[in-house]
Amino acid sequence: MSTTQEIAAQIREAAKRLLSEGKVDCVIGFAQGTVPMREYPYFAYTPEEAENLTWSRFCCNNLSNFLVRRPKGQADKVAIVAQGCVSRNIVGLIKENQITREQVYILGVASPGMVDRNKVQALFPLKTITEVTEDGDELIVKGLGFEERVPTKKVLRQNCYTCVMRNPVIKDEMIGEESAPTHGGNIDKVAAPWEKLAPEERWAAFQETFKDCIRCYACRDACPLCYCHVCFVDEARPQWCGKTQDEADVATFHILRAFHCAGRCTDCGACESACPVGIKMRKLTSMIEKDIRELYGYTPGMDLESQPPLSVYKPNDPQEFIK
Amino acid sequence: MFARRRFAVLKDLLEYVGIEPGRLHFSWISSAEAAKFQETVLAVTEAVKALGPAKHMIKDIRKVA
Amino acid sequence: MSEKAEFQPRIAAFLCNWCSYGAADLAGVSRLQYPPNIHVIRIPCTGRMSPKFILQAFRQGIDGVWVSG
Repeated sequence: MSTTQEIAAQIREAAKRLLSEGKVDCVIGFAQGTVPMREYPYFAYTPEEAENLTWSRFCCNNLSNFLVRRPKGQADKVAIVAQGCVSRNIVGLIKENQITREQVYILGVASPGMVDRNKVQALFPLKTITEVTEDGDELIVKGLGFEERVPTKKVLRQNCYTCVMRNPVIKDEMIGEESAPTHGGNIDKVAAPWEKLAPEERWAAFQETFKDCIRCYACRDACPLCYCHVCFVDEARPQWCGKTQDEADVATFHILRAFHCAGRCTDCGACESACPVGIKMRKLTSMIEKDIRELYGYTPGMDLESQPPLSVYKPNDPQEFIK
Repeated sequence: MFARRRFAVLKDLLEYVGIEPGRLHFSWISSAEAAKFQETVLAVTEAVKALGPAKHMIKDIRKVA
Repeated sequence: MSEKAEFQPRIAAFLCNWCSYGAADLAGVSRLQYPPNIHVIRIPCTGRMSPKFILQAFRQGIDGVWVSG
């Protein structure tokens, strides 16, 4: 299994080759952040810029988000670095006619499992982390006056433990070798955590989870599924959702946001990574995806052929809830 | 038909976040079934009456203003 | 009358123009009695129904929602 540093070097090589051959106009990847554990999405337009590309366990954004939001008239053929979830989102975007398969050149990478920077910080409360490097399966965390090794298994993002597809489902070129498809976690065991609660307790649990929401919409903006030009929260007439932090407004926003991801969410975890106050919105989305799996036996983004579950129907769909 | 799939998921979601199942009703009534319509109105009204007023989604202006 | 008046819920009824709206019409023509708590909203088809409508109804102080196709 190649290390992320080796894969980063191979990504740079491939990006330089594609850009200098003129095969693509732009390579979307990650660049080293100025703050530790903050790799940021990077657009390389020239072979020189491709030098800045990198790959690590801190690449938490979902890059397929940038395939649909590119300004018109810019590069129309792009290469993108895609691990399992990103490639599944690309499949989703192709199915929803947002992009065409020919438009993208996919540099497939097996996902090492991304690290949740909040978890790393939580291990060193009130300390400043100045540098984090990877060494195989361990992180070397350096800070003011300390240096420690942390096994990455301890600090992975929650969704990465239960990933069902680490390898890209579609690709034009594979970088590094494929890995085992899962991390060994079972999504059905952890999905929908409030289902065990009594119905009366659920609203309180829901409010407790989302009480810190500041309505910055970072989860929406980080999500590759949310590409509507006018989001329902921005509509003013009628106003579906108020703009305050009142629990009714927060609940409306999060219920509808989760519902809009029904049958499309690949559990990439970009929303949770983007949240500035650390809300675990996967508690909502995981429930919907579980429901879709149970009702319609569908896992989003696994192939290009199957139809999105809410765009088709069968005469014998479950309907006990209809009187 | 598409709505059936959509609302199967929505109903589960609203129950999951703690909105009482009795507040949300779905039914299938043809335009010839006046009696079924009457029955359903009675059933829905009874169910909602038993639950009392809904408070969850109502914005408290005093809290945010 | 010292007793508190019984709680009267407000229910938003989203009725499909072609099915339940017709049934409601027929119920009226047939003089069937039903409670006055429902507020009928006619929609062109149940396919027009959106989850937003349901949440919006709850936000506006409706106690129950009934969607009928």
